[in-house]
Amino acid sequence: MPAVIDKARCNGCELCVLYCPLDVLAMEDGVAVVRYPDECWHCGACRQDCALDAVTFEFSPVMLAI
Amino acid sequence: MAAVIGSEVHHLKADVAVIGGGTAGLNTAIAAAEAGADVLVVDKAHIVRSGAIAGGIDHFFAYLESGEPWDTRDAYLAYVAKVARGASNLRIHEKVFCEELTAAMARTERMGVSLRQQDGSYLRTQALGQPGPYAINFDGKFLKPKMAMEVKRKHCRILNRVQVSNLYLHQGEIAGFAGYDMRSGDFYAIEAKAVVIATGNTNRMFKTQTGNPFNLWYCPANTGDLHRAAFDVGAELANVEYVRLTIVPKGMSAPGFNAFFGMGGKLVNGLGQEFMNAYHPMGDKAPRNVMVWGALQEVRAGRGPIYVDVRHLKAADLEHLFSMLGIDKDTLPEFLRAKGYNREGTMIEMTVSEPMQARPSELCGSGIKIDETCASNISGLFAAGDASDQMGCLHMCMAGGFAAGKHAARYAAKLAHHRPLQANALEEERKRVFAPLLRNTGIAPGEFEGIVRIIATDHFGPYKSEVSLTSAIAKLDALDQYRDQLRAGNLHELMRCHEAVNIHAVAKIVAHAALARKESRFVPYHYRSDYPETSEDWCGLVVVRRDGENGVATRFERLHYDA
Repeated sequence: MPAVIDKARCNGCELCVLYCPLDVLAMEDGVAVVRYPDECWHCGACRQDCALDAVTFEFSPVMLAI
Repeated sequence: MAAVIGSEVHHLKADVAVIGGGTAGLNTAIAAAEAGADVLVVDKAHIVRSGAIAGGIDHFFAYLESGEPWDTRDAYLAYVAKVARGASNLRIHEKVFCEELTAAMARTERMGVSLRQQDGSYLRTQALGQPGPYAINFDGKFLKPKMAMEVKRKHCRILNRVQVSNLYLHQGEIAGFAGYDMRSGDFYAIEAKAVVIATGNTNRMFKTQTGNPFNLWYCPANTGDLHRAAFDVGAELANVEYVRLTIVPKGMSAPGFNAFFGMGGKLVNGLGQEFMNAYHPMGDKAPRNVMVWGALQEVRAGRGPIYVDVRHLKAADLEHLFSMLGIDKDTLPEFLRAKGYNREGTMIEMTVSEPMQARPSELCGSGIKIDETCASNISGLFAAGDASDQMGCLHMCMAGGFAAGKHAARYAAKLAHHRPLQANALEEERKRVFAPLLRNTGIAPGEFEGIVRIIATDHFGPYKSEVSLTSAIAKLDALDQYRDQLRAGNLHELMRCHEAVNIHAVAKIVAHAALARKESRFVPYHYRSDYPETSEDWCGLVVVRRDGENGVATRFERLHYDA
């Protein structure tokens, strides 16, 4: 998993969905979700623009294991 | 959203339309607006965070005329001539970079991003074959959003999330283009007196170290969309035979090369031996392609894996290095921590990155062939940044992007009227663009793209020969039959369908160009096993253009250097 959004922290401002360069994020039920995790570039744009620290990164097993 | 996807059609007009709102495109827009043009910027993502520096940037190459012998325009151009020989046209380089450099640096600072340290000085490092420390280290975390603000301040109109699908000519001259909004499904027909393409290089063409095609050094959204479209309307491309690679952390293809080696990091092999001095007199400060070549040779000889050793750096330099890594790639420092590396005691395992269709050097580009005015061979069509054959890297995109905007505005000002778009061609395009959404069965874009990656990697990623290239072209041509079977379940997948088709088309162009260059240059970026030597006969550009319905014609254009 790349970008991970904490639903409890997300206030639905949509900035991350607006800016994600890979169109990986989308709004569902008023909060941002990572709809296409395999297409994340790990650029961190979503996190930089989040005022509530709702975005963290988790690195996939292959990235850490090889 | 329209009731039926694709049913809403918007007709827009602009003096200058910029396709691609990355560093080059936004500088183009700023320049054209300052020249009085009515400017439209069209971006596949969102201009606040799109393109190569979406997540940040940490260095800007420049000569500063400080009095040092290496710090002059002439010394810099001599470096370009040496390191980018056969790919960089010095006459164009002077116009699009040297003559724009001072203004580009001033503009960067005016927009609110300082190139200096807190005490007002420049922190400069040396790598990549440079005769002196040309890389200004700076905090460019907010450069992209600041440029986007400047574009808005200049009253440019912006279309975010619109993928341009095709360009159109009228009597051989640019008339405009079509595209669609990947969020709303609306279709756009845009008339522009001048069009500037600034869509970067082509990624996702080759297999990656992790198997995930989006785990890339460069932006995975750059898929050669406009390389393909420009080629289709007859634009010439150059420097596209080169397959660029770099050295990246194992597990995450991220920028950091310049920071590691600029700060004094050393490559070592699995035996703990430094090895770059055996490949180049500048050792770990050699040009990038030589570093990649050295790493490949060590691994091939059984002396892998390779590491970057930074243990000898002073504590303050290590701290600076790791902060720079995070400025260029936001998530890299925490990735390194997750791998268990600490600053003090560890050598970081590195690997040769995925190949990409891109410039062979930091001092030129790879794509639409431009002249001193950033113009292509098609009247009204310009190119800037990595999408052009003569610009690349932040410094040239800031400087040369601006040059392209000035020239495009000047061109547009001379035209009294927009050239017409043909209604029937647009209607045909609207149907073509949305067709994958209407198929109930078919091939997923990822599967199609994956096939392209296997063919490209096996046949020219990066090693190649006449046999491998001829075979690649035959296989890529045979893949044409599946293009019309691509299926999209939603608009996001529709974008991926068009990207897959564009990556496929550019892969063919790359293979044809590589077949034409019967020598090796920037090894391993163009390494022909059947012509392993670099030949002065090939000191110049392989220029490609469309020939008939499916053909690729090539010609050679010699480049001249004093030494």
